[in-house]
Amino acid sequence: MGVSLRESVELIADPRNLDASVEEVFHTMMGGTCLREKDPAVPYTPESVTAVVGFGGLFSGACVLRSSAETARLLAERMTGMEFVELDDTVRDAFGEICNMLAGAWKGRVPNLAGHCGLSVPAVITGRDYNIHVQSPEFRVHHFFSLDGARFDVTIICDGLR
Amino acid sequence: MSEIRTLIVDDSSVMRKIVERALRQAGLDTLVVHEAGSGAEGLEVLKDNAVDIILSDINMPVMDGIEFVRQLKAQNLAAGVPVIMITTESSEEHVKQAIQAGAAGYIRKPFTAEQVKERVLPLLKAA
Repeated sequence: MGVSLRESVELIADPRNLDASVEEVFHTMMGGTCLREKDPAVPYTPESVTAVVGFGGLFSGACVLRSSAETARLLAERMTGMEFVELDDTVRDAFGEICNMLAGAWKGRVPNLAGHCGLSVPAVITGRDYNIHVQSPEFRVHHFFSLDGARFDVTIICDGLR
Repeated sequence: MSEIRTLIVDDSSVMRKIVERALRQAGLDTLVVHEAGSGAEGLEVLKDNAVDIILSDINMPVMDGIEFVRQLKAQNLAAGVPVIMITTESSEEHVKQAIQAGAAGYIRKPFTAEQVKERVLPLLKAA
């Protein structure tokens, strides 16, 4: 009999999975504790950075990590132990890897999901005044966090579940 | 410990540096590191360089880590050298695939230096 994730949708969409994944990745790789924030304090200006890792297989969608350019730089410094003066390729690489680990940690929390859902390599977008649109998602979990005052948000978007 | 020659394969240069740092934190001060951005590049590196251990990501463009391990065997490169997969893909299915392809161990991202030490040192001692 084929595997179906349909029956597990409530487990998959459980918002606690996202919080636990963020805590795991940031604590392990950056030695810090993230705080869950109620809402964005200020818009990400002047420039924002978005990393996207796609899910494919029985679950399709994406994990999206977003922050200001300054926060991306700070997170890259925390993770690598290196210093960066600007948003360069290494910072973008680090930001994409954080998103990759978040996506992997998140899907690993649900039985059956990890083995039936693959990850894309990360894509990183930088710029001003852009939005990411998904047509009629099945569900979306979107939380705001901070690490030592640096704000960022993570979204899990499901646009198909079989 | 005498000089340890390592190949780190990951499409992310940041992750390659983080793995190298974890190895040094594990006590491998005399590390000689070769790097590759894909499985295909890793095979090229091994044609010209002998190594003692290989750490490879799975999810990479051009040639993924599983195919890289299969090709090592097919091309008779780095025979007897332990390969550890370091990856976000942590399902039993992925672990099984990696072991079947010839990997000696598995480290899930995110990882601590301690976890790297626990997996790498026994393999180096046994080699």
